[in-house]
Formats: sequence, structure tokens, C-alpha cells
Amino acid sequence: MIFVIAEHKDNKLKPITSELLVFAQRAGRDFGQPVTAVVLGSSTAGIANELKTRKIDRVITAEHADLGEYNPDPYVEVLKSILEKEKPFLVLIGHTTQGMDFAPRLSVRLRRPLIAGCVEYEKQGDRLILTRQVFNAKMNMKTSPRGEPPFFATASPGAFPGDEVETGGSAEVVAFPVQLSGGSRRKLLERVEAPKGKADLSSAPIIVSGGRGLKQKENFSLVFELAEAIGGSVGASRPVVDAEWLPREYQVGSSGQTVSPRLYIAVGISGAIQHLVGMQTARCIVAINKDPEAPIFKVAHYGIVDDLFKVVPALTKIFKDLKQA
Amino acid sequence: MKIISCIKPVPDPASRLIINEAKTWIKDQDLTFVASEADNYALEEALRLKEKHGGDVVVVSMGGEEAARVLRSGLAMGADRAIHLLDPKFKGADEFAAAATLAKVIEKDGGADLVLTGVQSDDLGTGMTGTMLAEFLGWAHATVVVAVEANPDAKSLKVRRELEGGINESVELPMPAVLTVQFGINQPRYASLKGIMAAKKKEFKAVTAADLGLSDNAAGKAGAMYEVREILIPARKSRVELITGTPEEEAATLVEKLRKEAKVL
Repeated sequence: MIFVIAEHKDNKLKPITSELLVFAQRAGRDFGQPVTAVVLGSSTAGIANELKTRKIDRVITAEHADLGEYNPDPYVEVLKSILEKEKPFLVLIGHTTQGMDFAPRLSVRLRRPLIAGCVEYEKQGDRLILTRQVFNAKMNMKTSPRGEPPFFATASPGAFPGDEVETGGSAEVVAFPVQLSGGSRRKLLERVEAPKGKADLSSAPIIVSGGRGLKQKENFSLVFELAEAIGGSVGASRPVVDAEWLPREYQVGSSGQTVSPRLYIAVGISGAIQHLVGMQTARCIVAINKDPEAPIFKVAHYGIVDDLFKVVPALTKIFKDLKQA
Repeated sequence: MKIISCIKPVPDPASRLIINEAKTWIKDQDLTFVASEADNYALEEALRLKEKHGGDVVVVSMGGEEAARVLRSGLAMGADRAIHLLDPKFKGADEFAAAATLAKVIEKDGGADLVLTGVQSDDLGTGMTGTMLAEFLGWAHATVVVAVEANPDAKSLKVRRELEGGINESVELPMPAVLTVQFGINQPRYASLKGIMAAKKKEFKAVTAADLGLSDNAAGKAGAMYEVREILIPARKSRVELITGTPEEEAATLVEKLRKEAKVL
């Protein structure tokens, strides 16, 4: 069995869950293993209904008032009892701030391997090889977990194409009897959402991002105008945020947001590795930069080596005209 | 408060990394090692908490001379003493083995109120070790921390975690606890000349696997939960297609390609 621990918010699956399901469906086929999705929450019917339309074999729900908001202690306690009963082969978890908050604890509690931040897997004989990125994504590391299953793996956001999840299933939904005895040491006090009007870049389909090449704060309006014309969100590289042209929440990269949009347009961004780590899984990357040696061109699909102050307004005009037509 | 700050030595980010012959790691003989960037933020946070609440900061690192180097620099920044996990048996540890070893040395040192680590390292970069350490110690933890408020009398902490998409959450947890500290939480200080001189007189203790009562299959490579099969430079999945012409032509060609070829619009 391959287990996917579903991540959800506001009674909806988060995009990472579809990516985990794609990973599970592919690996399930290769290893001849059925796929089970596991949902923890205080009320899971809506999520379970959404999950059972995916082409998987089973949905396990675990309901408890203490599972309403994510909290590591009850999460680890419940997952441990489910996994000890079910004995799956592989357990897939999102490499997210939630997944990476409990997966390492679970791995240690069960004394089973965790390979975190996977971007690929392969089957060598009967052996599972998991690939992850190391040295800020400069290199890949192929690993094989030791000993007996279950093996834990967290998948990097954007590594598997969530829109390729197979649907058309009618999975059986099974409720797991939850018994919590450990309580939770950590108490959630409050959650502060991103400032109003600003999209969560992690699920934005189109992002126009600006860098130091814009030269000064005022010129960033070029990026906003293009984003508006194309119907996308705005992002920025670290130097832009450090120079306080834009608030920290716009930052894309290893210390900002990791994004995986359909289209990423990098304007005046040279492409330091810390930035590339955060956006290189975008399906289509466009780079506009006057320096042909800029590393951003190594990950870009389309490149324009020219003056952004001329190209960007021309692009904005085309999209405005398209909108009106 | 007794605060332990765990520091991982990593190759200087400016160095050119070359994969070793066995393709299991990089050639690390001639590299300069520095503290992993996020661990610097964790140490700075530890020093600030000490300055506010009193107590001691102990820096811990694992490795050879490269670990001694980051420990000396931690002492120069203001830590009170250093523990050097120095033993060939520690070599080849994965996150699991490293966390198990750190838990042992922390217990052996009489525990602590707080352990701070960076959110992730600059080499493996998986962000597992701190949370695994919390589980080995049986302590509470919080990851991706961007603000810390300690209340030593009540043995409690209020911390802010940075989630995806600019969302933050505040959580309360009891001490002792392990926190993994996010980049940018503070501005790490530089060691002063006075600090560097003072560091030479501070306690610097080397600890081996035997000192910790670690069995041979628990430390280093033998204690690792996975095997490294191969390290490789990933093939770029795309080769850039350069678009040329006047700015207007370039813009028009790009839009055409995005619609017809890439089909992303």
C-alpha cells in the first residue's frame, strides 16, 4: 500500500495533495501497490468526498475535535496508530511547513526512514530509489531507504504535476477509530493570513516577478502593470525585498515562497540559486534580462536578451489589447 | 536559561563543488567550511535570548576541523562554551543518526531549556534534523520560527511560525523545546576582536561516540536510515529558446509562443 497524507485547508484539498496523489498513482502502478489517502480533521466528509473521486483504492478518515487545526502531537499519535495497523509500503507527505513539522517526528517515533524533499523516484528491481535535491538544488541525490517498510517520503511542492491526477474512482471511505491520549503540548494561538488582496503565490497560476534589474522602486510599477494585464500575481527576488521596494511576503526563493505556477515571467532577475530553488519547477519560465550570461537563462524556456524597460511595456500593451478584443 | 545552539559546518557557498569518485558526496578535502547560514540566525537568536533572560549558550557541532572552526566562531560571537562531537564514527551520519547523537550529547550535558537549530542546512537542506532531535529528546518543537518570546519563569515559549503564502501562526509551547529558526529572523552579529580573544579562554570539549555510550550501529553511517546511491548534477529539462528582434517584435513573438507552443495562456 502507498499512503498519501492529505493536506487540506478550509475544507478543500491543498494543491500539494494532488501532487502527492500523482506520485502515489505512478509509484502504485510501478510497484503494484494500491493507493490509500488519509485525512485527519475534525470534520472530514467534504474532503473524503473530494478524494474518493480520484483514482485511488481507499480513503481513511480520522476525525477528532483535536485534529481540527493542525497540531503535531495529535497528528503523530493518530498517524502512528494508523500506520502500525495498516503497515503500508510507502507514506507520502507534503514537503511543506505542515508536512515537515510532523514527518520527522513520525519517522523517529516509528524508527523508519524518511527521505525528505523528493523530486523523483525510480524502481530498480524491487528497490525504491528516491531522488532529492541537495546543495540548494545544484545537485541531486539518489537514496534508498534501509530496512523494512514503511518508508516515509516528503515530496517537494511542484515536483509532481498535480493537474495530472487521475480521476474516475469511487474509493471506499473507511473511518479510523481515533483515540487520543497524549494531548498536545503545542497550542495554536492565532493564524494571521497574508495581507488582504495578496494572493497565495504557492498556488498562483501566473506570476510576474521583478528583480534588481528594475533599478529602483518606482520602476516596479512595470511589473505590476504587466501582471495586471496578464491576470497574474506579483513576486520579487530577495534583493528587491531587502532593499524594501516590496514587503517580504512577495519574495520568491529559498527564504521566501516556493512557487510552481503555469507561467513564471522573470523580469530583471539574474537568477541566484536561492531564487531558482523557489521557482524552477514552474511549467513555463520566461526570462527577460539584458545580460545573456545571467543564470536565469539556464532554467528559462523562453528568453529575451534585451532592455526590460522596452520589452515589458510592449508585452503589457499586447495583453491589454488582447483583453479588449 | 540554558540554550543549546546546533551548528552544521557546510562548504562555503562560494566554493565550487565537485562530486567525489564514488559519487556519494562531494570532494570535501580542499574546501573552506562555514556555519550553515540558517544556523547563524539560530545562534544569534540564542544570544539575544540569553542577553534578555540571562543564562548560558552552548554551541554544539559534529565533524572534524571544520566543526571546530564553526564552534570557535560561535564562541567568538558570544557563546559560553562549545561541545565538539569529534569521532570518525560520526562520519556519514544522515539526519536521523545526527539527531540521535545530538540528543545523547544534550542529555549527557544535563539537558537544556531550549535548543535552536537552523530551519535547514545549506548542504542536505531537508530541514529534518531539528524536529527529529525534538522527538529523540521527547520535547515539544516548532519549525520555521520567525519570532521567539520566552517566559523562563512559566517555562513557556510563544513563537511565530512562517507558513506558505505569507501566512504566520503564533503558537505556545512548554520548555524544554526545540525550535528550527527561519532565515532573516534577525541580523546575526559579527565576532568582535575582543570576542575572538575571549573565545580562546572558553571551555571547548571534545566528545566521542564512546563518551555518549552510543553503540557502533547507532552513530554515523551505520546509524543512517538511508543509503546514498549516487550524487549527480541534474540534467536541465529545457534549453532556453532565445527570442530576438525589436522589443515590439520580441514581445509579440513571445506571446504567440506562450499561446500556441507552450499553451500556458
